[in-house]
Amino acid sequence: MTGSKRKIVQIAILIGVLLLGGYAIGKTLFSSDGTPQVGGKPPEFELAAMDGSVQKLSDYKGRPLVINFWGTFCPPCVKEMPEFQRQYVKWKGEGLEILAINLSEDDITVTNFLKRFNLDYQILRDRDRQTEKAYGVRQYPTTFFVKPNGEIKEIFIGGMTEAAIDERITELFRN
Amino acid sequence: MFQNTKCECGHQNSVGTVLCESCGKPLGEEALSDLPLEMRYDGVARRSQKANPGPIDRIWSFFSSVKIAVWLIVLTLLASTLGTIYPQEGSFVNFSDPTYYEKTYGLPGKIYYALGLSHTYESWWFIGLLVMIGTSLVICSLDRVLPLYRALNKQQIRKHDRFISRQKVVYATRIDGDPEEWTQRFEGALQRRGFRVHRDGTALLAEKNRFSRWGPYINHIGLIIFLLAVLARSIPGWYLDDYVGVTEGDTVRLQGTNYFIKNVAFTVDFYTDSEMPDRLKGTARAKKYETKAELYQCTANCGAVGEPQLTKLTAHDIIVNDPLSYNGVKVYQFDFNMTPKLKAVNPVLIDKVTGEKYGPFRLSIADPEPFYELGPYSLELITRFMDFKLDENGVPTNNSREPDAPAFLFLIKGPGLPADGETFMYFPKQKDKQRFSQDMINRALADRFDIVVGSMEGVEFTGPESFLNVRIDRAMPFIWIGAAISMIGLTLGFYWNHRRIWMRIDDGVLSLGAHTNKNWYGMRGDVAAALRKMSIEIDPKSLDNGGNKT
Repeated sequence: MTGSKRKIVQIAILIGVLLLGGYAIGKTLFSSDGTPQVGGKPPEFELAAMDGSVQKLSDYKGRPLVINFWGTFCPPCVKEMPEFQRQYVKWKGEGLEILAINLSEDDITVTNFLKRFNLDYQILRDRDRQTEKAYGVRQYPTTFFVKPNGEIKEIFIGGMTEAAIDERITELFRN
Repeated sequence: MFQNTKCECGHQNSVGTVLCESCGKPLGEEALSDLPLEMRYDGVARRSQKANPGPIDRIWSFFSSVKIAVWLIVLTLLASTLGTIYPQEGSFVNFSDPTYYEKTYGLPGKIYYALGLSHTYESWWFIGLLVMIGTSLVICSLDRVLPLYRALNKQQIRKHDRFISRQKVVYATRIDGDPEEWTQRFEGALQRRGFRVHRDGTALLAEKNRFSRWGPYINHIGLIIFLLAVLARSIPGWYLDDYVGVTEGDTVRLQGTNYFIKNVAFTVDFYTDSEMPDRLKGTARAKKYETKAELYQCTANCGAVGEPQLTKLTAHDIIVNDPLSYNGVKVYQFDFNMTPKLKAVNPVLIDKVTGEKYGPFRLSIADPEPFYELGPYSLELITRFMDFKLDENGVPTNNSREPDAPAFLFLIKGPGLPADGETFMYFPKQKDKQRFSQDMINRALADRFDIVVGSMEGVEFTGPESFLNVRIDRAMPFIWIGAAISMIGLTLGFYWNHRRIWMRIDDGVLSLGAHTNKNWYGMRGDVAAALRKMSIEIDPKSLDNGGNKT
């Protein structure tokens, strides 16, 4: 083998090692289990809304989003729902959307629960905890703040005060 | 620095050559000694040995070093042992408590978790070590196998005197008669001992089992396939190790797949007391548990919208170590829970004033009807709680998603009641009825009506729950292939050895040298036996030139 040929083989092998090794190491560093992280994109979903329509995440492309995971069994989730409603009224004129994904509860539970509130923002229904798992939600409530360019600005775990919600939505519009 | 690498025989060797590639004359420092020769890789230079290394050459020669490879392996071994101190996160069915290690093992546990040793084998530095070992395997092998192949493929028959006399097995004597004729007879003697002989007048080279030299490299190819296969598990869809609980009669999704599994029936046999040793008598010990399972695939509406359309793929009676297996998906029996859960009740509505009973009606916990007609009365379901509790403001709410404390709020209409009805709260479990004071909640209505289940026949329970372990490992065939190739390589290297004998006769003086990579005892035996055929009786031990361990 001539010198230049040998060099090409060496470089090819080193690049191969760099790519494979980089992929393997990078996977351990940057994505814990494929769930979305701050700075990443929220996974696409296709969920039923309360009016029976099918809503996709991509339908809301280009708009600032608040994606909230909630359940009737989770008191802080319930507590922040009227606060989200007030924030929705305040910001919807500017293009804000709130998508509140229920944690795979059954029809009766969700329907009856919602009768207690007067919510205008989009309530979506998960099934078999699929969306919840795709988003890596482990504690409730968990709220994703998504910038208009589709990038996750913040993942907030736990209940929020209205001021805290307002502050974060203001941030979304600043971008 | 300029270095003359041309041998006296006229062959141009590369930098780093220890023994001339052509005549075998010791070169450089090796020429100064009288000890047996360093025969590793037949004295040829490693590919990476260069006069003026650039940055790529430096990286290359770093990984080409066996010393570095040994260090990498030692470091990986040490790191692996760290991972065995406490259980790894992955060994829990569902690890979510970051304080677990501290709570269970105290401060060492806290440090263990903080250092990330609770997931040693998934950590970047451990994977990094494996990647480096893989790189070292490829580069070490490539750097040695190609020059060695070339060296062994074009061996010169007539070797330099010093090359022959400095082998670890040597013999020299004066012979009478025609040297050419002697060499020819010696060739025959060696052939009978299984050597392949190349003769050049009064010189010869006899060789056997050269293939065993490729053993280590074949082993390395197998290891590289093995490592790549393990790496391939991170490709989406290639690897899954998950647990799922399925109640008898239920069909649930295998998380992360389009498959659904149905628990058609679950049975468990326990050991009888007569089958158990005294100390275990009276305890429930499972002898055999079995899930009659059916596997389905979702063909439409597989997301969270609409009813999923399922097609049956296969059925299997799963017992321990006999999984349901379909197209790479394996479902193993893992555990079971015999505690029954309330599925439905068949209560009657009692008019406490008249003592009249209406019903019974079937009330499913998970899937109740919105409306029930009971004689002159009607029950309209306002809401249902799966796990009832009152929040801090006294508002009824759910404690969890599980049906642990079901509660139903009805609107009762009928004779003697207001036209828009009255609300009545019903707890199917007697325990909950008392705990949450059903009669207090229903106030005056509690004196007029009650909803009761007459007997145990009125209560339906769910069947036992079977816990199954779902595994997909598409890398497994490649792991087996890699392991098999590795085994073939090891076998070649372990059970055969490469033996060579060089001989030349100059002016009636015979010089003979022999080399093998192991089993020098056998090597000396071969030489002595061949010489015996030539009527030269010698003790095999006397052939030893020193420097051997065997």
